[in-house]
Amino acid sequence: MIRYHISIFILVLLACIFQQFLPAVTGWYDAKIYILPLTFLCCAVTVGFSPMLGLAFLCGFIWDAQNTLSPAGGDPTVYDHPVDQMRFGYSIILYAVMGVLMQGVQPLFRKGVWQLSAALTGVATFFYLLSEYLLINIIRGDYYFPASIFQQMWISALLTMLCSPLLFFILFKLARWFDHTIRYDGLKRRYFKFKSLEEES
Amino acid sequence: MKPLNLITLILFLCGLAWSLTRSDAGVRKIQSAYFTVISPFVNSGSAMETKIRSFNDEIVHSDELSAKLQLAETELVKLRTEITHLRKLEQENIQMRAALDFQQRTPFSVTAAKIIRRKPSNWWETAQIDRGSDHGISAQHPVIAAEGLVGKVDRPDDESSTVILLTDEACQVSAKVEGNGGVQEVGILSGQRAQNGDNPMLRLQYLSRNTNVKKGQKVVTTGRGDLFPEGVVLGTIVSVERGAINAEAQVKPAVDFAALHTVFVLTQ
Repeated sequence: MIRYHISIFILVLLACIFQQFLPAVTGWYDAKIYILPLTFLCCAVTVGFSPMLGLAFLCGFIWDAQNTLSPAGGDPTVYDHPVDQMRFGYSIILYAVMGVLMQGVQPLFRKGVWQLSAALTGVATFFYLLSEYLLINIIRGDYYFPASIFQQMWISALLTMLCSPLLFFILFKLARWFDHTIRYDGLKRRYFKFKSLEEES
Repeated sequence: MKPLNLITLILFLCGLAWSLTRSDAGVRKIQSAYFTVISPFVNSGSAMETKIRSFNDEIVHSDELSAKLQLAETELVKLRTEITHLRKLEQENIQMRAALDFQQRTPFSVTAAKIIRRKPSNWWETAQIDRGSDHGISAQHPVIAAEGLVGKVDRPDDESSTVILLTDEACQVSAKVEGNGGVQEVGILSGQRAQNGDNPMLRLQYLSRNTNVKKGQKVVTTGRGDLFPEGVVLGTIVSVERGAINAEAQVKPAVDFAALHTVFVLTQ
């Protein structure tokens, strides 16, 4: 099991490098494939709560290290209305929330219904982008939500979702190579409780 | 909750609190370490991307080239006659440049850089260039192109830097409107949030309420605020909107950001 967990941490790091080379599609409202969040979402449904939190921390930390802007600089008497920036570390919270959402469909995923998880990666990506954009609006103080942003979000979510079967294929391969079975502890415990009750009666 | 999950949750919350309380300098250190690790991959990936793109271009253009060759041969005759005239003009140009002693007059040291990545982040208008602190580049250095201001260096790494473009909301420039009949119209120019596509517009804020700036007037830097030198072209006024307290203008940037490949960093 530990080998599988190490392999998905490496997979996340590879996705982080790969993300650097995925450009925004200008003709489609600057939409792009979010391969790092997608990798996290797909991995989150295959592991337990603790590794999911570890992954959320790693992905959020990397995401913010990649994207946080420096302070504006310049003479404050001239630039007296600087634009507020997002705090380093906010993505960790967003990733953890997405991870919890993905864990909600883990019982079905364990039964082999991976399609629902694939669809949920699109939903989670959309809500991730939406919450990130709304946070920017809250921090900067004025609400501005043009239709093009909504288009950018849903096209990005759709493009990202379309890549999820490939990610699940890789994860299934990794699970097979490293003899990892995706387990759902809640179900297992309930099953054993039920069996023991039957034996008692 | 299982003890292992509880311990992980506590560790996660501690890590989160640690991340959220990092100072700007701490965040810069983290980012510097991160980009030091990742830059070899990014640089080699960019080089590969350039090779593939140039190979594709060659294939696409081979047919077009043969048609153009024929046209070029006819042009050649025409151009040869013009060369004689141009040589004379060139000589005159050299003499004038020497007289101006341009290199000594310019107070800046300029470093040319190539854009290797565009808009790598979600919402910020940024680009990555192939010159970093090893080439004398520091944070807040202005970045220009032949047409005007491009932005400023946000984060220099060893061999590359992230540039925040003029089209980003967070890139503010002290600007003035030229040719305004002797009246000094000064404001703060910045990009706008959530702009997609190839034609972003800029926003010139805090103009006086009764401003008489008009469509077509040129906007340049004032040189105030310790960030950008004076007189760098920013764009052209497209429209003016008067509010209760002050006025605001929409500005078309002088630089075509979609077609930008080479930029110059003012390192002094």
